[in-house]
Amino acid sequence: MSGQSDPRGSTFSAAELEFLAEDETIEIVPNLRMERLSLICGDFGPFRPQIATQVPIWLAVALKKRGKCTIRPPDWMSVEKLTQVLEAERDSASSFEALPFHYVEISRLLFDDARDDIPDVYMVRSLIEDIKDVRFHKIGTGLEKLSSRTYAMKLNLSAMEVNVIRPFVTGGLETFYKLGNPDLIQESSDRPEHRRPQPADRGPRRELRR
Amino acid sequence: MANYYDIDDILADEELVPAVFLEAVNGVGLFESNEANRVEPRSKVELPFWLARELHLRQAVSVTIPPCFNKKTREEIGADGAHVDLRSRSSYFYELGCKIVQLMGDKSIGSLLLVAFQTRYKEVLIKAHTAASSLTPKFLSSLTKEETKLYDAAKSSTAAFKTWRMGGPRFQKAAVLGRKRKPIGGE
Repeated sequence: MSGQSDPRGSTFSAAELEFLAEDETIEIVPNLRMERLSLICGDFGPFRPQIATQVPIWLAVALKKRGKCTIRPPDWMSVEKLTQVLEAERDSASSFEALPFHYVEISRLLFDDARDDIPDVYMVRSLIEDIKDVRFHKIGTGLEKLSSRTYAMKLNLSAMEVNVIRPFVTGGLETFYKLGNPDLIQESSDRPEHRRPQPADRGPRRELRR
Repeated sequence: MANYYDIDDILADEELVPAVFLEAVNGVGLFESNEANRVEPRSKVELPFWLARELHLRQAVSVTIPPCFNKKTREEIGADGAHVDLRSRSSYFYELGCKIVQLMGDKSIGSLLLVAFQTRYKEVLIKAHTAASSLTPKFLSSLTKEETKLYDAAKSSTAAFKTWRMGGPRFQKAAVLGRKRKPIGGE
């Protein structure tokens, strides 16, 4: 699956990510009576007043806009949880806390349409902003270590974070790959820092551009 | 060979490289003032890379390393790669370097390119993600084509994220909507 907004299809626009995030489920408390909804993505409901149920966020927001339900903010979106996450993010310089993959988008959706359902909304909002800033800063410092020997990175990054850095990382890695081609590089002893012992089973390098 | 339709690859081929003719060549219009329309052996000329490569392979000319990879540049990159003005030397520094290495087999240029990119990459990264709207023209004008592309990619994705977060209209109105329909059949 790739984005439609970019002609090369290599990246999503923020709005497209928001659209994808709307498929995550969230708990609502309806105040209307409605039959079970059978949708392609699954069955939701039946809706009974004051009985909580799980629905996709797009449905929750649509009902909320019509005043037909209250949204229960997810567990991670509480002041205590977010404070813990922020502390942990600040303590460790390299690892990332496990947050929902779409936390940036979900929080924006809820802040736009369900402010009255989130307790301490201002606090929660500024905490999420702080967490986001800390994480982006960490990503930036982490990217400085990128080099021609980078093969894989495993991090708890969220969709939006990955999307923002994607054009830069792919472009940078491609250039590193091109310049790191063994045909071009003198495997001499004048740059010992790049000559680490390498596992033998890596296999032949794949040519990206030839 | 890179992609045949890659415009940057084509433009990189246009970069001039110094070459020395090994043989006398007739009928080349390199020097318009030269009435004889003839190039003497051992005359030095600057040829676009695509021409120089073909002539070099036919041993009609001998290509020398372009001045953008000379000792001075190497020393500057070794000292502080991030602040060398590479564009004034060659906007296709990396691409041309790769081609020269393949042609001449001078692998020290390859390592130079890698070191240069490694040091300059960080600068691009920091500038692109932090410097908000205050453009740094001096910095930008020292980037090569490849680095500029990288910078723009990072810049635009960060900017797109910021505008989304600031809010603004969720839905964009299509241009055709809201236009009054013309009455059909007559004025």
